[in-house]
Amino acid sequence: ATEMSNVLLRVVFFLVLVCCKTQNVKPVQGGVRLSAQAPVLPQPQNFTTGLRIAQVCSLFTFRTSQRSRVLLDAFYRYKKLIFSHFSRQKLMSNCVKGLTVRVDNITTDSTYPSLEDDESYVLHIPLSGWVMLRAVTVFGALRGVETFSQLVHFNFTHKLYQVAKAPWDIRDFPRFQHRGLLIDTARHFQPVANIKRILDSMSYAKLNVMHWHIVDTQSFPMEVKLYPNMWEGSFSYWERYTQEDIYDIVEYARLRGIRIIPEFDIPGHAASWCAGYSDLCPSSSCTQPLNPAHNITFEIIEDIVKEVAGKTDAAALFPDGFIHLGGDEVKTSCWETSPAVRKWMRENGIFLFQDVYRHFVEYGHKVSEAVRRTVINWEEAFTNFGTEMNKNTVIQIWIREESIPYVGYVHIFVSVWILVVLILQVVCSGFRCIDSYENHWYLDWRGTSWKTFYNHDPHKLVDNVDLQKLVIGGEVCAWGEHIDGSNLDLTIWPRAAAAAERLWSSRDVNNVTMMKPRLASFRCLLHRRGISSSPLQSGTRKEPSGPGGCDVQ
Amino acid sequence: MDRRPLFLGLVFLSLLANAGAVGVSVVPQPLNVVLGKTTLEVSHLFNFTAADSHSNTLKMAFERYLGLIFSHSNSRDPDVQKMLSVMTVTIDSEDESLQLETDESYRLEISAFPPSAHLQGATVYGALRGLETFSQLVTYNFLSGKYQIQNASLSIHDKPRFPHRGLMIDTSRHFEPIMTIRKIIDSMSYAKLNVLHWHVVDSQSFPMQSLSYPKLWNGAYTRQERYTVDDARGIVEYARQRGIRVLAEFDMPGHAASWCVGYPEICPAPDCTQPLNPAANETFNLIEGLLKELSGVFVDDFIHLGGDEVRTSCWNKSHQIQAWLKQHNFTMDDAYMYFVKRAHTIAQGVKKTPVNWEEVFNHFGSNLDKETVIHVWLSHATAAKVVAAGYRCILSNSNVWYLPHLGTTWEKMYENDPYMNIDDPDEQKLILGGEACMWGETGDSSDLEWTIWPRAAAVAERLWSHSDVNNTVLMLPRLQSFRCLLTRRSIAAAPVLNNQAREAPPGPGSCYGQ
Repeated sequence: ATEMSNVLLRVVFFLVLVCCKTQNVKPVQGGVRLSAQAPVLPQPQNFTTGLRIAQVCSLFTFRTSQRSRVLLDAFYRYKKLIFSHFSRQKLMSNCVKGLTVRVDNITTDSTYPSLEDDESYVLHIPLSGWVMLRAVTVFGALRGVETFSQLVHFNFTHKLYQVAKAPWDIRDFPRFQHRGLLIDTARHFQPVANIKRILDSMSYAKLNVMHWHIVDTQSFPMEVKLYPNMWEGSFSYWERYTQEDIYDIVEYARLRGIRIIPEFDIPGHAASWCAGYSDLCPSSSCTQPLNPAHNITFEIIEDIVKEVAGKTDAAALFPDGFIHLGGDEVKTSCWETSPAVRKWMRENGIFLFQDVYRHFVEYGHKVSEAVRRTVINWEEAFTNFGTEMNKNTVIQIWIREESIPYVGYVHIFVSVWILVVLILQVVCSGFRCIDSYENHWYLDWRGTSWKTFYNHDPHKLVDNVDLQKLVIGGEVCAWGEHIDGSNLDLTIWPRAAAAAERLWSSRDVNNVTMMKPRLASFRCLLHRRGISSSPLQSGTRKEPSGPGGCDVQ
Repeated sequence: MDRRPLFLGLVFLSLLANAGAVGVSVVPQPLNVVLGKTTLEVSHLFNFTAADSHSNTLKMAFERYLGLIFSHSNSRDPDVQKMLSVMTVTIDSEDESLQLETDESYRLEISAFPPSAHLQGATVYGALRGLETFSQLVTYNFLSGKYQIQNASLSIHDKPRFPHRGLMIDTSRHFEPIMTIRKIIDSMSYAKLNVLHWHVVDSQSFPMQSLSYPKLWNGAYTRQERYTVDDARGIVEYARQRGIRVLAEFDMPGHAASWCVGYPEICPAPDCTQPLNPAANETFNLIEGLLKELSGVFVDDFIHLGGDEVRTSCWNKSHQIQAWLKQHNFTMDDAYMYFVKRAHTIAQGVKKTPVNWEEVFNHFGSNLDKETVIHVWLSHATAAKVVAAGYRCILSNSNVWYLPHLGTTWEKMYENDPYMNIDDPDEQKLILGGEACMWGETGDSSDLEWTIWPRAAAVAERLWSHSDVNNTVLMLPRLQSFRCLLTRRSIAAAPVLNNQAREAPPGPGSCYGQ
């Protein structure tokens, strides 16, 4: 019977999809002329350039009349990033003296960044005098400073810093609000220093969400205060995060305008949870999904969500408004073989294992809502429970061939369309979604080229402007089975930058030929800033084919 | 000679070394370790103090090591009374010149009752080595939220076996940005390596600025992939602050095609560019100008002048060189020797001791000035001949100490002893040490670190620790810990158990188990 209702449900989805498609509206396009691109990645939305070279004064300064910790910290960082070569003090006239920042809403300096933040900025670089940067929020100002830093280059012959094609007028804003990178500290532990380095690199590409897949089947490295045995599920005594470490990382990210969304993947990816509390798992030999038959399971889930949110906003471990509760790949066989789980089901009037799964998802939503957290779930929660879920839920799409809803018509579409069909289903059902299609945006798939990352558009097939708004953005995912402290950066970069441009820049900035030299220079920029980034030509984690310049490999 | 005391001494030392291997996980293994049984807690308010020294080098090292050791922020109240809260550091000699002869020995005494710690360095650079050892002894207890030192009270007397413990990097096959070089220097200091052999230029590119020959860096790959003289000066100083000498190499005459991008007159022919033209005065004028200018930037007593893989066929293609050979009645080999010797004279003129790759010795043997240092790479067996002929020697035999050979395991690197087949103590003294070489054909900023690490740490221990510390079974857990330490310090070090370098871990797992 459930099979039938599922099929029916999917037929309905498909019909909705068809109606959505009929409301065709021409997509909004930005104003970038393809013939002239700025040497900036991601490509700014609107800009005009001049024809002259502006000299940067040797005593260049950043300044703002506003009190801002975020800006002061950024000034310090960018001064080091931009002025990495010693340059002789020369008296110059007609040079760019400094950059002055004005933020309309300076209260954002002390707030945590959010999905709704306005990251737009206006940047004017004159031939001489002060660079003017204006933004609505401090986080928008950070994006503007990054853009400026990419426009300044060092002239080795004259030992001067310069800006080519000045004067510049840039009016920039992101296309999507949620531009993320997923890292996975459960398959391999990533030391705090590595996470900070990844946050640095994300800010260079204007990515603004680090989705921290902190625990999973293999390990539980995070400290839980009320349940101090939880991190016995870590790989070793040393591979752990204290809550102080997490506060430190979250603040480090905030100063770079990056939100951190933690993920606790329940109930399917959670075997490591029972290392400290064995009752959390159905049995010692069959450890996941989590055991619903013991109250401690729900108590710990609730406590973790509460610790995430903190007793007060200021004390929140993860202050972000969203929490990711996973919900993917729930294989119910461990429940089926557990007499305790069967007994619990009987006692609670639950007859289907599907409904045990549903119970976990709903419980996660309930406890999160109580602490004002919006839940993100992987797509399986949607494909299983669909419209019954709280409409506030955000669905993260990743899909795999075998999880494609089976409807005869779907197979008319070639595989490329499958994802977008699901996105369309999600948004047509009124849910917000995040795009992380594995064929295009999974970084651990080493064979996926940067071009594939670049060509993937979250709005493919979603033509209706109102529905487009429900696609809040996307994430590239660096699943950690084969990624540890040795190869994190070069697995992520430079491909994540191609997705970063897709998520920031106008939809019509999509020409692979024009992107290639910019991506190559961005890779060299990453190297100059101490971030390892794989060669474009040889592919991910492959050595360069032979001697050669950074920009051609 | 009665060898028994020596033998007993070695047994004693190896016992100590093994005790160390069980109790403390320090790479490279210190020479002499005495351990206690107490766990001493270290206050998060811990600080270093330099007793009488005003050394800025030391003060900056304190800053760095406080950051490295105390990486977890801590809000819990300490009981400072029972905890170690200060370490005094004294230095025997305030002389901060850093050369081959610099004494890097140190004594580290940590007492549990009452908590106290003292580090005595023979020089500031010895103190730096002691700080590194100390930093590897302090661990964070995740349960108590406190830092601690196990096996207190403990006493370490340590000094290196070899004075020249190097890593070679190659910025010609691929340009390495300053940040990348700095990170490599940081990581070297963690393994107590003390020489960055900087193979600056080669056939493929010439990234270094010369003020007297400003067109030389036209041979760079791009306008951005260059080092200014100030950049180089900055790198040398950055390295010195970490007790690392920078040995610059200008490989001539064989690996020098990039020199003629800016100055074609020093090459035999436009289509046959190397070895450099030995018949043209411009060649030696340029070398002299370059070395004079850079001798103040690369302040080390040594300069590496390459001299390897000289294939003379291009000299046949130039009428000028042919005529010059005939005029001097030179064979090709004579011309090669003439070049090498003239380069030596120029180097000595700017008070530098020349280092050459082993071909120079293989070709000209004892014709060379006895000051010359021979860098062996083709065959370990050459080292014995070099020292028998009375020359000093640096070992980098390519069959085991070349890092781009991805199939060379850390065990092989570890087991390579520089004294192989050299038994005479006087000859042994001529072995200055060795270098792991990171040639850059397939190494750029993307993969440099995990090609170098963790294998270079095996070489570092071979060059620092006693020759008896050579058991790969005992080394394995320490190397794994050291690799995890590197990753905590933001250095990408590959899994230890992989048979191939720079390969991803085979699956999920602990850093300590892979």
